Amino acid sequence: MAVETPRVRVEGIGKRFEGTNGPVQALEGVTFDVADGEFVCIVGPSGCGKTTLFRIIAGLEPATTGRVVLDGDRVDGPSTDLGLVFQEYHLFPWRTVAGNVGFGLERDGVATTERERRVRELLELVGLDGFADAYPRDLSGGMKQRVALARALAVDPGLLLMDEPFGAVDAQTKKLLQDELLDIWRETGKTILFVTHDVEEAVKLADRVVVMAKEPGRLREVIDVDVERPRERSDDGFGATYQRLLDLI
Amino acid sequence: MAIDVSEDVDHATDALGGSVADIDARRVVRGLGGLLAFLLVWTGASLTQPSYVLPSPLVVAETFVAQAASGEMFVALGNSVLHWIPGAVFGTGLGVAAGIALAWSPYLDDVTSPVVRVLRPVPPLALIGFAIAWFGINHAGAAFIIAVGAFWINFYATYGGVEGVSEDLLDVARSLGVEGDLALIRTVVVPASLPEITTGMRTGIGRCWMLVVASEIFGVAGIGRRILRASNNLQVDVVITYILVLSLMYLVVDVAFRAFQRRALAWR
Repeated sequence: MAVETPRVRVEGIGKRFEGTNGPVQALEGVTFDVADGEFVCIVGPSGCGKTTLFRIIAGLEPATTGRVVLDGDRVDGPSTDLGLVFQEYHLFPWRTVAGNVGFGLERDGVATTERERRVRELLELVGLDGFADAYPRDLSGGMKQRVALARALAVDPGLLLMDEPFGAVDAQTKKLLQDELLDIWRETGKTILFVTHDVEEAVKLADRVVVMAKEPGRLREVIDVDVERPRERSDDGFGATYQRLLDLI
Repeated sequence: MAIDVSEDVDHATDALGGSVADIDARRVVRGLGGLLAFLLVWTGASLTQPSYVLPSPLVVAETFVAQAASGEMFVALGNSVLHWIPGAVFGTGLGVAAGIALAWSPYLDDVTSPVVRVLRPVPPLALIGFAIAWFGINHAGAAFIIAVGAFWINFYATYGGVEGVSEDLLDVARSLGVEGDLALIRTVVVPASLPEITTGMRTGIGRCWMLVVASEIFGVAGIGRRILRASNNLQVDVVITYILVLSLMYLVVDVAFRAFQRRALAWR
């Protein structure tokens, strides 16, 4: 790979909370890079600070030490450069599917016709054409997550941040959504940082896996996944990488 | 790119269509039965009492028709509406605005909290002196009393709704380019708390009809004045007639507002 500035630098991130039994070191010295167009998963046991790290990278919480740099600029709050997808979807329930996807396009003087065209494209991308006028309450979990993904992609963020996005759907839907996400990633060339506790999911999706350890939450190792896509559990290397990650966690 | 949408949209309500109509019909029959029983008990009771204590429903009906026919009823109603509308509109508007502002800004909340706590328990009726001194014995004075009542109901309903708005939705909105308090309030806070805000409005509108009577106690003309005058003359049939007018007005406005609320909250 050619030498280039990474899209994201996570530099020495530490986070202390004031707990009831004194201060708690939730994260310590977490440092890694994500290259442009790369798909990186963060895995670790529960309590390793994955979600805290996600919130810091997203600009939703300040770090106690260190910094996050996106395309050369320090992240100091949420912005359209960072597309967020949460496990619980967090759709705007009062807006239709099209209204949710178009939410981020209602500023910046995007013309109505242009916005409608973009929304249509995005709904097609995530396979929800025909559901533009449905409200979130009528959608299944998998469909809600597709809407959330399309909504995040609408503003064309430099980094797509996903926190256990498929953690709340059944196994079959999860597999389907993983395949779709890989298709969308290939099609859009987005850089994706994906938090999960599911090791198999990480091996299936990621170019590289950031493995975290707990107490304090820290980076244990970064593992390259050298398996041809599309990946199946039976592929050479899949099992070996999976086992190696499990041993680390 | 083609993606199968294997999951299906819920159509839970469609299958129940027939039985819902049956339930509605049964409820109407029961309601009419209850109303009939109430009128029978009323009639029975009125037979044992002189009419200045309790007139029969029939007498009240005659009075009602006479009051409507003479036009007196509509003059009173028109007068009441002239302070009910501005009172409800200003009270609701200011209550919702204050509720949003104080629930959104911890600073404003801290600053105003002592004053709010002192003013909150003051009954609108206790402010009649101010209504007369500041506005006079007129529609504006009566509207002031009504507005105070509407204000608090809307203030607390809105405050509760805004407090309950999910921090996560606000984070999502910020990550989609919404910047600044006003923009967040407009795009997320108000729509997200609309169920609580409109419930407050609905309660407040009902309260305003009740306050119409109180607001006319110091001499402003209207339904309330008419009820008070008839009470002094022991014209119980007239009192009940105008109570019915108030109830009917409340019913009409409430049904209309509920229809609006159902449309505004179609997403729920």
